[in-house]
Amino acid sequence: MADVKKSLIDHDGQRLGGAGRFAYTAAGCALLLFAVIAASVSIGSVSIGLSKVWSMLGKGLSLCVRSVFSKAASQELSALISSSGESSILFRIRLPRTLLAAILGGSLSVSGYLLQVFFRNPIAGPFVLGISSGAKMVVGLVLIFFAGRIGLISSLTLVAAAFGGSLLITLLVLLFSQRVRNMSMLLVVGIMVGYICSAVTEFCITFAADHDVVNLTSWSMGSFSGADWADIRIALLVCIPGLIAAFLMIKPIGAYALGEGYARSMGVRVKTVRVLLILISSLLSACVTALAGPVSFVGIAVPHIARTLLRSSRPSYVISTSFLFGAFFCTACDLIARTVFAPTELAIGTVTSVFGAPVVIYMMISSRRNREV
Amino acid sequence: MELDFAQGFSVDYYEGGYKLISISDGSSFLVIPEGKSLPKGAPEGAVPLYQPVERIYMAATAVMCLFDALDGLGSIAFSGSRAENWYVEGAKKAMEEGRMVYAGKYSEPDYEMLVQSSCPLAVESTMINHSSEVKDKLEELGIAVLTDQSSNEPHPLGRTEWIRLYGAILDKEEEADAVMERQKAELEEALSAGKSGRTVAFFYISSSGRAVVRRSGDYVSKMIDLAGGQYAFSDIGDPDSKSSTVTLEMETFFSSVRDADVIIYNSNIDGEVKTLDDMLRKSSLLQGLKAVSEGNVWCTGQNMYQQTTELGTIIKSFSRVFSGQANGLDELPFLYRLR
Repeated sequence: MADVKKSLIDHDGQRLGGAGRFAYTAAGCALLLFAVIAASVSIGSVSIGLSKVWSMLGKGLSLCVRSVFSKAASQELSALISSSGESSILFRIRLPRTLLAAILGGSLSVSGYLLQVFFRNPIAGPFVLGISSGAKMVVGLVLIFFAGRIGLISSLTLVAAAFGGSLLITLLVLLFSQRVRNMSMLLVVGIMVGYICSAVTEFCITFAADHDVVNLTSWSMGSFSGADWADIRIALLVCIPGLIAAFLMIKPIGAYALGEGYARSMGVRVKTVRVLLILISSLLSACVTALAGPVSFVGIAVPHIARTLLRSSRPSYVISTSFLFGAFFCTACDLIARTVFAPTELAIGTVTSVFGAPVVIYMMISSRRNREV
Repeated sequence: MELDFAQGFSVDYYEGGYKLISISDGSSFLVIPEGKSLPKGAPEGAVPLYQPVERIYMAATAVMCLFDALDGLGSIAFSGSRAENWYVEGAKKAMEEGRMVYAGKYSEPDYEMLVQSSCPLAVESTMINHSSEVKDKLEELGIAVLTDQSSNEPHPLGRTEWIRLYGAILDKEEEADAVMERQKAELEEALSAGKSGRTVAFFYISSSGRAVVRRSGDYVSKMIDLAGGQYAFSDIGDPDSKSSTVTLEMETFFSSVRDADVIIYNSNIDGEVKTLDDMLRKSSLLQGLKAVSEGNVWCTGQNMYQQTTELGTIIKSFSRVFSGQANGLDELPFLYRLR
């Protein structure tokens, strides 16, 4: 733990000289994000010519803008979407899926960063703290015990259940944080809460009907497969305010990251910052879990990658870079998940872990080696 | 014993009423008539089953209906599923009345209960191959384990024909023949309708919004073929794979299902859907599909997968839908129309 803390301080020590590096890194990440979005809308298991894809996208975008002012353009847009199988695939499958992966990937990374600031520990993340397990537990309870009583479980019910579960665990962690002052101990408490949630889920599964187990297992695998424009609207409605709130907090976050004593001396209300950090983080990760199921690894790894690339812990830099790199990373992983073994699709968590973990291990080893040199 | 479809077992009859059952997984069982003992020179490795074979532990859900059709539920004392999970009414009733008790699922049986009641035989599905330690433990405790291989049968009615094997164990060969004859007649009737040429999509949407279809070559896709339909996902998945389903990337799914003439929603796996709206809520992509606009969306009844004895009837229902004989109808055996 001491090493971890030292490494955060080391990074922070270099933070003021990093504006140029931030500009390069953010521009690089934005470029990567644009490239992967372009690839993601162009590539799929159904082959559509590149020129056709981009001409349909251009036409769609123009109609979309015009439809704000004109009803005729709105009707024309609907006609374009359903005019052929290819346009349906592009506008009803590829585009919403790509955008959802980008928005949620970026948000999950920012959520992970805020948790890491809160716990002053780079291994904190929605998965480690049991927030994802809490979501899974409540989804499991709904599927197993309420499905029979309320009839068919809609995806909206699952979204609400996941959201409720995430917030429940967040509130629990917040409650403990009032008593446990040591952040490492609080992290351990969070992990234990996660274990309890997993145990409750397993307990429910023992008594569940086969189809409920199938449903829960399927949901737990995480996927952007069912993405549609309604999901995008929900994601934007939740994530944009969350991200704005995170940006508004960059100054207190910067002070808090240097220690509670320092933050207090700078006039920061530490208690309020802690509550806001965990609330914003949970809101973002709950939205991701609700719309795409549990997506492992991104929340822990991306902020670490961002800090390593930036060689700085300045909150404004890390939040921006984490969002851009997280959006790129998640979109790229989703592209891999749906194309590598197409038409069979992989779970998103499988790809994020398999492709992301080695990168982080490599970065950690090489950054330690550099420090030793 | 002469078999029409099944390839996974054989039954040889010997003097004195002895029967030797050989199964494709290499196991064999010697059925010994009541009052007789293990004969000298019995085949090496054959597990003796002394008649009457009673107090059976049934952990293979698809086999329960075969015993039900043979009027042999009385031979089963232990179930691997709880009462609420049975769609075989006889089994459900037996459990509710205490004639059959839950003894843990296939991967976690209650060994003490089985040993205490001198259970002689556990009937397992091929799922037991993923929990081989359970099989070893049961055998160590003196409980014979018969792994039902009917799911590997290439012909759908091959699955049904495993009723002849259980008929041999229970001395109910005539009852087994009667079931097979009925199902063969249903199949003949379906085959006589010929090929309809209509494309058929059989799938469900999982709780994570992914499309799950039956692998091409799977018995459901074969039933669609026998019923005169053309399976919309005929080139999906390795036909020789053991897996029965494939989670499909949405673009391929959409391009295959978009112009399908008939949709059969597989509600057996993720819970029953009652109306067309229930199905459409699972994915916005399903709106506007040809079959949806034309009202050709059907749904499987929850009991379909536990009705191995009725596969011929199910094929006949499929055939009636594909050939247009079901136009104007809302319900068929094992299928109902979604409105």
